[in-house]
Amino acid sequence: MDVKYINPFINAAQTVFKTMLGIEAKMGKPILKNERTTSGDISGIMGLAGDRKGTICISFHDKGALFVFKTLVGEECDTVNPEVVDSIGELTNIISGQARKEFEQAGLNLKAAIPMVVVGKNVEVNFITKIPIISLPFHFSVNNNGAREVMYLDFSFE
Amino acid sequence: MKVLVVDDFATMRKIVKNVLRQINIENVVEAENGKHALNVLKSEEIDLIISDWMMPEMTGIEFLKACKEDDEKKKIPFIMVTAEGQKDSVMEAIKSGVDNYIVKPFTPDKLKDAIDKARARAGK
Repeated sequence: MDVKYINPFINAAQTVFKTMLGIEAKMGKPILKNERTTSGDISGIMGLAGDRKGTICISFHDKGALFVFKTLVGEECDTVNPEVVDSIGELTNIISGQARKEFEQAGLNLKAAIPMVVVGKNVEVNFITKIPIISLPFHFSVNNNGAREVMYLDFSFE
Repeated sequence: MKVLVVDDFATMRKIVKNVLRQINIENVVEAENGKHALNVLKSEEIDLIISDWMMPEMTGIEFLKACKEDDEKKKIPFIMVTAEGQKDSVMEAIKSGVDNYIVKPFTPDKLKDAIDKARARAGK
């Protein structure tokens, strides 16, 4: 996998965290996944087509998703409800849009579909391209007491 | 200032409302598409419109054109929210008289700047 396919996703995730959530997302060590399953509990999945074909999957654990909802929407919520799910879909949409902008600057034109959000652990995702899947973990603080959560940005490209 | 936020996606309307709250704009009315928004404009005095592009029944560009063809509604500053990769759409919106547009993702400061510029352009 060429690094030029990874950097747009890193830049997109970090830009969207900074602009929409007002926080820094620090990337951890990327891993290669051989399972076609979601990395967290709530996952926004989006197909990409155009100059390349691929899929991205943006995945949070419950606490991280609730933090995203609270920060984006400005409302407290204790459990994952349809609104929380929608907010992850919207975030997926925005990160994908930002990534497409970054890809365009690198000379690749991509189009995206409407995101689909799945809830559950280890949900099998039919990534339309081949394994391995690249999984980028982004760590972020959810309060002032040092509690941290993670967002996984998993993708596969042909 | 009373703002009309138009988006078919309820969560996105809430996100925009939350960003507006951060720049001290609390008076917000919502509509889920252009057609609904035109109905809202019949009964509410609106100072600014922030509209999404892709919506069922009446899209953002159709709603924009309907506003700009009306002697009263055309005076209301109109901001279009777009996603990346919609350059052609932005050009069409500019030709149709949009007062400003903003690309997601946006910060509260960026939205405030877009509002200030749209209001200045509309002479408000």
